[in-house]
Parts: sequence; structure tokens; C-alpha cells
Amino acid sequence: MRGTQKHIFRWVWARRTTAAVFLLLLVLGRYEWFPWLKGNTAATTVCRIVPFADPLAAIEVTLATRRAEIDLLVGAGVLLAFGVLAGPVFCGWVCPLGLLLDLNDALRRGWTQRLHRGSWLVRGLRVPAEIKYGFLGLALGFALVARLPAFQTLSPINIVAWAIVFSAWPALLVVGALVAVEHIASRVWCRSLCPLGALYSLVGRYGLLRVRVDPARAGKLRCERCTQSCPMGIRVTEDYVVAGKSAIDHPDCTRCGACVDACPSGALRLGMRATRDTSGVSDHTTPGADTDVRQCRSRRPGKTWRRV
Amino acid sequence: MAGIGVATGAGAGLLLRRADTFAFGACVLRPPGARPEPEFLAACLRCGQCVEACPFGSLQMAVGARMGIANGTPYVDSRAVPCYLCQGHTDLKCIMVCPTGALEPVADPADIRMGVAVIDESVCLAYSRTVCRICWHSCPLPNQAITFDQRLRPVVDEEACIGCGLCDYACPTETSSIPIRPACADNGAAIPP
Repeated sequence: MRGTQKHIFRWVWARRTTAAVFLLLLVLGRYEWFPWLKGNTAATTVCRIVPFADPLAAIEVTLATRRAEIDLLVGAGVLLAFGVLAGPVFCGWVCPLGLLLDLNDALRRGWTQRLHRGSWLVRGLRVPAEIKYGFLGLALGFALVARLPAFQTLSPINIVAWAIVFSAWPALLVVGALVAVEHIASRVWCRSLCPLGALYSLVGRYGLLRVRVDPARAGKLRCERCTQSCPMGIRVTEDYVVAGKSAIDHPDCTRCGACVDACPSGALRLGMRATRDTSGVSDHTTPGADTDVRQCRSRRPGKTWRRV
Repeated sequence: MAGIGVATGAGAGLLLRRADTFAFGACVLRPPGARPEPEFLAACLRCGQCVEACPFGSLQMAVGARMGIANGTPYVDSRAVPCYLCQGHTDLKCIMVCPTGALEPVADPADIRMGVAVIDESVCLAYSRTVCRICWHSCPLPNQAITFDQRLRPVVDEEACIGCGLCDYACPTETSSIPIRPACADNGAAIPP
């Protein structure tokens, strides 16, 4: 039945692949025979001439030096403009640290499934997401006054890239600590701490690319798998699907597609335009509305856990 | 929340500036064309493109707790691989790729000031009655940066020396008799690596 579709195409693998390919290109850039992508997460040069720069790094350096480097600002501006259109896509699709923490979170989900579902470890420690805007301000204020792009020196994102590209393995201790912490506080870096994610969240508030909700299919099941699957801890079911929103416009949404993958009724879709409202069509055209409820329950007997 | 962050960051920045920020970074030999250390640390994006561009593998990425705020910046360990000043190439590659101008273009290789070679007379062979002129042979500016005194002992002209480290690399003594004093030792950052 279409309603219980097992997604053959899964966004999670597309996303992990792009992040892994980016990392691979960074590693290849270390070698002289590979001139097509040079650099690191802070700034890269593509095909020898096209400069890209991490917007936060570019802003920090501009504040610290009080000089405007045109190339740098253009390279950062391109990525920032993309961020305005598509939100924090970088976080889910490119960031090497995001990839590492995403795989780590899959591990975490593995072992927490064995726990009693009332255990606080299942839900994990929650840190308010707004803290990351504070860290963004901290990075910018510090860069301006101390005249140092301090976040570029400390950033675990850069550290992962340095470690893998320049074989600076001891630096990974910092990241190792983060990985360990994330087993207790799920995705705490991406959700609540990362200043770069905060910047992308800020500018991407009114982006076009979004997870779209099909009003005809949505809200029939309330199986809450979208909420459970969301790496950013967005309450997809409660705040968007059941609330009748046509798109998930949460600023933290990285368009990673985890909820799209998880949805058994195909109500969610990643796209630029809203799904046409077909709610006038009678209910039996909604694929497998009632069968799905049964399926949901039979797969996870008695589990109505909410990881909010 | 962002406002609180800016205020905290600015406050921490002020405190750190008062305590001399640049004492928190290691003083290392910078690539050619590097701005004075405080400016360099402000401008360096820590992207490592200079490290990747160096055709001789002279540049290394500074990573580790002892590097402090210099983490992620490029440096030259002249005893391992000195800076060959891109001999055989048209430009200085690291300067060409730097996206932020932390490394500034230099008109003439002789204008580079990475540091200054300092002869340690207690270990230098030429100063202990041996004939040795390996540093002079390796110097890209022979008879300018390194000359000989009347007893055929090498002498460094601090005005002409560019601090590339070729002499340091070539020096045959166990510990180098002609280590390079990085430029940052003269303009702020005091902690040796």
C-alpha cells in the first residue's frame, strides 16, 4: 500500500553522502595533484579561482581586522545568500562535524532503545536552543573587541577538518569529549551551541526550501515519528502537522529530511513550493489512513513515547 | 540572548586585551609576507590554504594546546623543512592563496621579514676553529645576509636576513647553531613554541 510506503530513496543517505563527499574533497585538496578544491571549512577555493568562505569566519575576520577583503566577503556572501534561501542546509548536508555527530546520534538511538522508555536518557538532557544565539554574539563581540577570530580557533567544526585533512589527530580530543557529551544530551552542539548554525538559523528564517506538509495526508496517524526522528528536536507533529501548518518553518530546521524519511504516510516532502491543498478529496484517497495506525502500533507495541 | 552574548564577548575581549592577548599564543616562524603578529592573528582565517599550496611542504598547521590562540595558523619549522621562497615558481604560493590578506604580497623576496637568523657562537663550528661555511652556501642572499668576518666566521646582517631558515636547516651541528628568531619575538608574542 502506498500509505505504508517504505521509502526507497532516503534523504539520510543523500545527506550523509554529500557531507562525506565534501570531506573527501577536503582531504584530496591536501595533495598537489588535486587543485579543484583547496582549503578547509573556514574557507575554500574551488577550481583555483572561485572563493567560498564560511560567513561567520568572514564576519569575524572583518570585525577583527576592520578591513573589508572583497574576495572574502563575496565568497561568504554567496553562502549567506544560499542560507537565506535554504536555511541551515550547511548543518545537515555539508558540515563534517554534523556528519560525525549524526552518525554518533544513530549510535545513541541504538543503545537508548534498550532502556526503559521512561528513562531520562531516552529523551536526553535538553539545553535551550536559544543559547546558540548567545554564542554567536559572544563570537562576534569577542572578535570585535579582542581582535581575534576566536571561534575559528576553537571551533570543533574546524578541528574535525584540521584533524582529518592535516592529520592533527590530538585535536580530536575536544571533539571526542563532545561526542561523549552528546550521548547524554542529544545533538547538543547543533541544537544549542553552534554559533555558525545560529547565524544560518537567523538568516534562513524566511527561506523557500522547506519540509512541506501535505494537508490531505497529514495528522491522520499522530504516530509522532517525525518528532522522534528530528535531530534538531523540533516538535514536528505537535507544532506543525497537527497545528495545520503547510510547512515546517522552524528556524532550526536543517532540511535534513529525517522526518520525511520517517513519515509512514508520505505527508511530508522537501520542496520549494507548498503542496496543493487536496483536502476536499474524500478520505479514502488518503492512502491507508487507518491501516497505518494499526501498522504503527503493531511495530512498536505499547510505545507511545514522546521524545519532545 | 544574542545581546547578552555580544556583551559577554566584548567584556571577555576587553579583559583579554588588558592581559595582553598575544601572550596566549605561541611565537612561531610565520610564512613569508605575514603581517605583524597581532594583525596576523586577527586576519588569519585558519583555513589552511597556504599549507596546502606550499610546493615544498614547508608550512605546517599549528594545532595543539601549546599553540593557544595561534591554533590553526600556519608556521614554518625551519629545522624540519625551511621556506624555499618558492624557488622555481613565479609567485610565493602561500601569499597568492591567502583569502584575507593575512599574508601580504611582497615586491621582492629580499623584502620578506619572517625573522632573523641568530648564530649561537657556543656551538657553531666556525666559531670553534673549524672551517664550515654551510650556512653561507645555503643562504639565498649570500654575501648579503651572511658574510664572513676576518677570521672566516659567519656573521648575520640583521638588516638583510629574511629568516627563511635555509641556514638553520643546513646547519650540521646536532642542535642548530643558527636558529631563527621569529619576527613575532620582536613585536609582541613572547612565548617560544
